[in-house]
Amino acid sequence: MVSKGIVGPKVYWTIDLPFEVPLLGSKIEINETMVISWVVMLLITGLCIFLTRNLKVEKISKRQAVAEWLVELADNFVTGNMGEKFKKYIPFIAALFATSIISNLISLLGVRSPTTDLNTEAAWAIVVFIMITATKIKTNGVGGYLKGYTEPIAVMTPFNILSELATPIGMACRHFGNILSGLVINTLIYSALIAASAAVFSFLPGILAEIPFFSIGVPAVLSVYFDWFSGVMQAFIFCMLTAKYISSAAE
Amino acid sequence: MLQQMFLTETTQDLVSINWTFIAQICNLFIQLFLIKKFLFKPVREILAKRQAKADADIREAKEAKDEAAAIKAEYEQNMLEAKEKANELLATAQKNATAKSDELLREANSQAAAIKQKAEADIAQERRKAVNELKDEIGSMAMEIAGKVIEREISEKDHAKLIDDFINNVGNA
Repeated sequence: MVSKGIVGPKVYWTIDLPFEVPLLGSKIEINETMVISWVVMLLITGLCIFLTRNLKVEKISKRQAVAEWLVELADNFVTGNMGEKFKKYIPFIAALFATSIISNLISLLGVRSPTTDLNTEAAWAIVVFIMITATKIKTNGVGGYLKGYTEPIAVMTPFNILSELATPIGMACRHFGNILSGLVINTLIYSALIAASAAVFSFLPGILAEIPFFSIGVPAVLSVYFDWFSGVMQAFIFCMLTAKYISSAAE
Repeated sequence: MLQQMFLTETTQDLVSINWTFIAQICNLFIQLFLIKKFLFKPVREILAKRQAKADADIREAKEAKDEAAAIKAEYEQNMLEAKEKANELLATAQKNATAKSDELLREANSQAAAIKQKAEADIAQERRKAVNELKDEIGSMAMEIAGKVIEREISEKDHAKLIDDFINNVGNA
């Protein structure tokens, strides 16, 4: 982590496109974010396959109990926050939560978490935004949806559009900012601890002086907040907001 | 050389929107598909199966309960019938016995009455016989006494009427 500094994800491989795509650029870069995302996906899918192996009706194993508990948790979360009629969103919210939480927590393994890349959150937020808009149009019709922007008075239209756009941007930036700040602070703390160790233990002979003693233990305590708490919290908040926005869009 | 590769490694900007955005959208939907296929589908299936089994169990238990209740009702009905039958039998037997004893009593009574009647008839006959004998004896005795009194033989035939009157008077006395 330390050697990386505070920069964006590493680029492993570049595919040049013969044309320029606005906003996205002309070359596809296979980077750390993508690779770690695939690892996350493999982990989640592997866990699902492991948990749902050899399912039984009676005398269930602990694995099966966990699998059923997870499904029930997703059911309760969605039906509790959105209501019965949004049952079709259960797998989506579950996928979103699983991806988010595993992406956040994978930084515990010392790799760069995919959620420290704004692209990841922006991708999720745009999907959620499309779902919110689709739900609104489905509920009120295109006319009703457009009319919603002029309420309560027509003057409010620009502000309504702004607040509408603020929804996905806010969601993406909240998640991204929290996780990235964790990365930044962890990186700074590491550097600081190494510097402090070097300064304090410089009297020790030879190689011993270079061992960053302070780096033992202290980052683990900090990671309880920045990785565990913040990671779980942001995944939860993102899914909660998704659930609330979609269900309120249907009103 | 390895170090050189690391030093020259390219990184993206800390905050930028690029093709990763598209990749992550695809990844989200692939993840959605995978989690649906490998977690929700099998678990839902097994939950539905368990639900069906629980429903079937409950239904079976209910059926068994109903059956047991029916058997119990039948048993109770049978018991009631048997009791009634027993009571009926007892009543009939009692009635029969009473009737029989009544008949016996009646018969005995009539027999006793007949015996009594016969005995009374016998007694009356005996009495009559005794009276007749006595009449005859007294007649001859009176004849003898009268013969001695008047010292002559009185024809039994001539004075029969006189004697009969006398005896009748005696008998009525």
